[in-house]
Amino acid sequence: MDTASIWQWFVAPLQYEFMVKAIAVSALVGLVCSVLSCYMTLKGWALMGDAVSHAVMPGVVLAYILKIPFAIGAFVFGVSSVLAIGFIKSKTRIKEDTVIGLVFTGFFAFGLVLISKTPSSVDLTHILFGNVLGISNQDIIQTVLIAAITLVTILVLRKDLLLFCFDPTHARSIGLNTVALYYILLSVLSLTIVAALQTVGIILVVAMLVTPGATAYLLTDRFDHMMLIAAASGVFSSVMGTYISYHIDGATGGCIVVLQTLIFVGTMIFAPKHGLLVRARRKQAASS
Amino acid sequence: MREVGIEVDNVTVTYNGKVALHGANLLLASGSIGGLVGMNGSGKSTLFKSIMGFVKPTTGRVLINGMPIRLVQKKNMVAYVPQSEEVDWNFPVSVWDVVMMGRYGYMNVLRIPSPVDRRIVAESLDRVQMSEFQNRQIGELSGGQKKRTFLARALAQQATVMLLDEPFTGVDVKTEKTMIELLIELRELGHTILISTHDLASVATFCDQVVLINRTILAYGPTGEVFTEENLTRTFGGRLSGFALSQQLIKPSPEENM
Repeated sequence: MDTASIWQWFVAPLQYEFMVKAIAVSALVGLVCSVLSCYMTLKGWALMGDAVSHAVMPGVVLAYILKIPFAIGAFVFGVSSVLAIGFIKSKTRIKEDTVIGLVFTGFFAFGLVLISKTPSSVDLTHILFGNVLGISNQDIIQTVLIAAITLVTILVLRKDLLLFCFDPTHARSIGLNTVALYYILLSVLSLTIVAALQTVGIILVVAMLVTPGATAYLLTDRFDHMMLIAAASGVFSSVMGTYISYHIDGATGGCIVVLQTLIFVGTMIFAPKHGLLVRARRKQAASS
Repeated sequence: MREVGIEVDNVTVTYNGKVALHGANLLLASGSIGGLVGMNGSGKSTLFKSIMGFVKPTTGRVLINGMPIRLVQKKNMVAYVPQSEEVDWNFPVSVWDVVMMGRYGYMNVLRIPSPVDRRIVAESLDRVQMSEFQNRQIGELSGGQKKRTFLARALAQQATVMLLDEPFTGVDVKTEKTMIELLIELRELGHTILISTHDLASVATFCDQVVLINRTILAYGPTGEVFTEENLTRTFGGRLSGFALSQQLIKPSPEENM
């Protein structure tokens, strides 16, 4: 490829307004998800993210039926799924991963039933896999608002949230409200999922919430650097994924997540300190 | 009489109807080191939790330097040094970051360190001889260095009461010695220190008091008075058969000494 065709590759899609919007929204969602993904990775909350993302489904459908912003419906159901998980876990002898599996599938199934009985224009595939190319201006405003709330919350509380992930006992002993931090992190998680729904959909949102953080975790031992690396890789794969989906005429969410996964695999193999190659070499050196 | 550092007054703690600690009483003077001895599940961590104010006793109360726990937490007065197994050593934080966490209670909501915070962190690191490792990721440290990092955090917190959970597990003899020296130094400065351990021999060498626990506090006081055959049998439920009492020191008897 010569320079002119590379230029064309990037510029051609921008003549369409829907592509400009899609790239901008994807980049923003990529940024918010990546920042949060650092905490998800360190706290071990991938399954929780998966649960909340599925549980928002009935909220989205109900919001369409009631003609309220879908973010509100999704948020309410996301948070109540977590409350339900917490309640069942504390009141019964059932283990947490079982409870999570049970609750989110229950919510999700309820959402499916609602969709099948709703004669309106709610499109199941859009909820499941996102529809960033067809995002409306109203939804863009919603996404920007949610992204702003989430980013500001995380940036203000980033050290407290980090301490909460690292050493909740110490956090409590110096008087931090760890219960509040737990619910703040959960609310931020629910909000972020709502923001990401349009871009990648319910099924793939957990990738956005885990992969950039996991990639960055293999590349650095500093939390600040981890956030920057995660954000860079998240925004890069969102933008490039959207471009690729345009050129190959493929699913946008799918392209973004495949790209993210490829970046992760490359990092896992070649990371200078925690990569597989270096580890193998180190092991060899130690045994010889 | 000296001021009381830790006062546990008739504390009962129940979890879901099960009694974890029953009618526990303890007075530990300021400027003294107590060795908390008991088996797994004897209520050691429940006692720690009540001293930190994490569990609300169903009866009784805990006072730190005569103050109720809520006030104590606001003043950062109790520091906790966790067991090694409780810490995620792969976490992307440096030694400096961990020690700085001891200062969070003194900072505003953004937790931006002031020059004073930085100075205290540097001094705390210096005190435990960890300054040269301050930029290391915590997983790259040896067992002893890991312990000293968390001890430095407790120092940076400027807590008057320190709770140490099994501090000598997985630590070499030299580090144990320097840690004990540091603890003795802190005692001279008026800190109250409670150490949970099952190493009876080391308790006898540097603790002012031993505290025997088995669902309740069975006995506490000077080592010589408390380490009686009867008390130890009650603490360990007759599982101390391999140990022999020699004067005031407890040593594993030769046949048990692997």
